[in-house]
Amino acid sequence: MFGKGLVKGLKITWKRMLGKKQTVKYPFTKIEMFPRFHGRFVIDPDKCISCGLCVNACPNKVIQLEKQKVGTKQYLTKYTMKIEYCLFCGLCVEVCPKDAINFSEIIDMNQYRREWVTLKMVDRDAPVETIDDNALIDSSSSHKEG
Amino acid sequence: MLESIFIEIADIIRYWFLDLGTPELLTEIILMLIKLSAILGFIIVNALWLVYMERKVAAYIQSRIGPIHTGPKGLLQTAADILKLMGKEIILPDGINRIIFILMPILIFVPPLMTWAVIPFGRDMTAVDIDMGVFYILAVGSLSTIIFWAAGWASNNKYSLIGGMRVVAQMVSYELPLVLGLLGVVMISGSLNLNQIVIAQDNVWFIFTQPIAFLIYLIAGISETNRAPFDLVEGESEIIAGPYTEYSGMGFALFFLAEYANMMVVSAVCTVMFLGGWLAPFGMDFIPSWVWFFLKMYFIIFLFMWIRWTYPRMRVDHLMAFGWKVLVPLSLANIFVTGACIYIFRGIGW
Repeated sequence: MFGKGLVKGLKITWKRMLGKKQTVKYPFTKIEMFPRFHGRFVIDPDKCISCGLCVNACPNKVIQLEKQKVGTKQYLTKYTMKIEYCLFCGLCVEVCPKDAINFSEIIDMNQYRREWVTLKMVDRDAPVETIDDNALIDSSSSHKEG
Repeated sequence: MLESIFIEIADIIRYWFLDLGTPELLTEIILMLIKLSAILGFIIVNALWLVYMERKVAAYIQSRIGPIHTGPKGLLQTAADILKLMGKEIILPDGINRIIFILMPILIFVPPLMTWAVIPFGRDMTAVDIDMGVFYILAVGSLSTIIFWAAGWASNNKYSLIGGMRVVAQMVSYELPLVLGLLGVVMISGSLNLNQIVIAQDNVWFIFTQPIAFLIYLIAGISETNRAPFDLVEGESEIIAGPYTEYSGMGFALFFLAEYANMMVVSAVCTVMFLGGWLAPFGMDFIPSWVWFFLKMYFIIFLFMWIRWTYPRMRVDHLMAFGWKVLVPLSLANIFVTGACIYIFRGIGW
């Protein structure tokens, strides 16, 4: 009564005016994501053992994996995600035994053309076998010595 | 030196024309035209700035940061907006009264411009110093009612018409407490001349001797400029944009800028009548008088913006009831008390 509420309202807006601003100048300053945020996928090809668990886990058949045998090990040559079908459930991340595939904080995956949307994450040739054999022999011999 | 810089510029121009052999009357006419165009420039620059300031204040109150990209700190945002609006087509809907429809956005700037002619910007800085200053301002200021109403009527649109009718109802009801509030000041100072009213506040500003009149003037002034919480005239959620509904492009921009010009007039009159005009407080004479006038005016404008972004819109019947049942009796009581006090103090011999 008698304008008490009016003064209270003015006080609140005054405090807000001097207080912290919520706006983030987005393209210029990055928005900090929560640790569990599901952003764009990143894969560490050196950790990957090409077991194919992620391919099987995916409910939408997003992941395509190509591998080649080098020596005794599987070598990852191609890892493509048709991200336009992805529902970001995170089953591939959960199932990975070597923690090779992970979510990142990158949020801008939009493209001008539909075919550009597909994520080609790994596309490389397998190393020539002979070199790898030597390495294998070397490592095995050193292993024996040790 | 800064104190009288504008007066000296005027003198330089006057003597320059007299040296050229111009007759004295013609020189005065030329000088008056220069003064009025300077006032026009002042109004337009300030209106552009005020739109920016309004957006910034609104943003800060709502924990945002407002325009930042156009120009340094977003300063050119309004200029960009106006340029965009100028480039737009002025749509003339079917069934409108073409002449009135086109004329009204042009005429809307006339009342504020005419009012500014008599307002003292600083010591001896009045474009036209007339003894009927207050009366003239009130008479000219209420002309904008007709322009809003005519714009609403000429649009041939129900929302515009309702908006126009609301302008008339609201402005007429709030003109009364506004005038009665100012009457208390006029009674104390004993003059209608704005310069003499300012000089009468040499010892104490009228806001301290007439606080109720100040509050009444502030409320009625917000209502006169159609700003929230009294923006029923252009209440977006009820009647689109009131009288401006059918206007597009520059017509709309002119109405938009005129709102700020009107706000400046109300704040300037408030400064002159209650806050001591161009008088420096606490003897701080080293700051020129026109700067003081400007600072005080902007303080009132900020108050208006602060109020606008704090309160929600009133209901129509509440608005009318508040105007006629609270403000008018209060202002009449204020006049009665002021008169009685003047009589008593005169009897004591103050």
